[in-house]
Amino acid sequence: MSDGVVARLRQRLRQQADLGEILAGAWSGLRPSELAARPVHLEGAETVPLGELFDLSGEPAGRIRFEGDLARADRLAAGLAEGEVIVEGSVGAQAGLGMAGGTLRIHGSAGPLAGAAAPEARRGMTGGELIIRGSAGVEAGARMRRGLLAIGGKAEGHAGHAMIAGTILILGDAGPDAGLWSKRGSVVALGPIAIPATYRYACTYRPAHLELTLTRLRARYRFPVKKRHFVGWYRRYSGDLADLGKGEILEWTAK
Amino acid sequence: MNLRGVFIEDTFAEAFTMRVARILITGRSARWAREAALNLTGFATSVIGCKCEAAIERELPLRESPDGRPGISVLFMTMGKDDMGKRLIERIGQTVLTCPTTACYDGLPEAPDRVGVGSALRHFGDGFQISKVVGGERFWRIPVMEGEFLVQEKFGMQKGVGGGNFLILARSADAALQAAEAAVDAMSSRTGVILPFPGGVVRSGSKVGSLRSKTMIASTNDAYCPTLRAVTTSALPEQVNSVLEIVINGTDAPAISAAMRAGIDAACRDGVLAISAGNYNGKLGPHHFHLREIMSGGEPV
Repeated sequence: MSDGVVARLRQRLRQQADLGEILAGAWSGLRPSELAARPVHLEGAETVPLGELFDLSGEPAGRIRFEGDLARADRLAAGLAEGEVIVEGSVGAQAGLGMAGGTLRIHGSAGPLAGAAAPEARRGMTGGELIIRGSAGVEAGARMRRGLLAIGGKAEGHAGHAMIAGTILILGDAGPDAGLWSKRGSVVALGPIAIPATYRYACTYRPAHLELTLTRLRARYRFPVKKRHFVGWYRRYSGDLADLGKGEILEWTAK
Repeated sequence: MNLRGVFIEDTFAEAFTMRVARILITGRSARWAREAALNLTGFATSVIGCKCEAAIERELPLRESPDGRPGISVLFMTMGKDDMGKRLIERIGQTVLTCPTTACYDGLPEAPDRVGVGSALRHFGDGFQISKVVGGERFWRIPVMEGEFLVQEKFGMQKGVGGGNFLILARSADAALQAAEAAVDAMSSRTGVILPFPGGVVRSGSKVGSLRSKTMIASTNDAYCPTLRAVTTSALPEQVNSVLEIVINGTDAPAISAAMRAGIDAACRDGVLAISAGNYNGKLGPHHFHLREIMSGGEPV
């Protein structure tokens, strides 16, 4: 079975590159030569084909792997609806913006607004799984409607801002104001979190759905979930009570 | 054919096509997963009186547990597609939802036929239930006094086989029971197979209809009752004083065939005179398990 398509950065990006159109819509059956023709908008209004920046090889198999320093690559996998996207390093801003399905796995860190909503959109990601092994910039998962966003490191702040539903799971420090203005959905804090004043404590328990999610993350993505996360307990806070109030923050605790 | 001195009759077990679902139950400990599974599969020996047939298939290794907790796999069978949803909603709602710490998952994710279970049980949450999509599957979190009950929205259902069987004809009741216990031990915990009767064993095999009542759909299998040898047309060889039956349901015929082979092999021991099987002359069920073919390593017709 083919490992899919490999996109290897030819040389270091010298300016911000908007990769928002290269994986939007149907792409998983495209050959490297077809993907190479998709447009990338460079800072300064210049548009170039993807193949000018990346060397693409392999066979279509529903998977694409990006290699190289993509810290200046923005909007990677924006609008993703299918397939598996793997990034060996870190990416720029707005990774997985408004994604609707498929999987985006970032082995490094992500910039601001990962899995969030585009400025003109009401909803952030509406499906799929966005797995960030490192840290995430501000407003990760802002206005997300469905799906799973897992962050292996810390979140810079305002994670899940105004989220409508879905799950954000943060292994490291959740940063300030996580879950603020949420309507529904879950912010799961396996590390430190400051509970917003507009959330109210409900109980301490073991949510079975979380054990299901953690088991899946560990089995499918080798996400670094620890045994203590399975055997510990979770404080449940309901909120944001300044909005609809049907969301929750689940804060891990050893006792 | 003889196996260690036990005569294998030249006959076959006749089985039917049923619908089967696989239910995975997990709990905080193996105790509570098993408790829920035992209640879910209680009073589910025969569709004749129970509307379904169900039993524990096996314990799940932790690596196969959907949520990493101790788990039990149950096979749940009905005669028709329509029955499956009703029975699962009734039984999961009354026996798993009510059982401390448990969660309930679909064990046939590839089956194209899907029946709504969590989608109905969620209403117990009275508007406080929460939906979660994990790995593309929807689950329902139903708030309960203990915490939350997690149940998958839909369960897979596929064609299965019910009514595989064999009869142990023994010199004494003790010998029949020991042979049956050995057979059950050899057949238990096999993937794709359940033994829905108490302890896996039936002492009251039935025939279709009745000699006296037109309304009875089944009655005692008088031909195999030792106490009736002198007053009915008996099928029992001389010296047989007790008969026990093992009924085997499964996800497919090969799974049943393999289980029967293991069970019959274990049952052929001291005090057992013959192994037979129940059938309706091939008129009712499409699956025929010929004992001698099975014990020779052949596949069912």
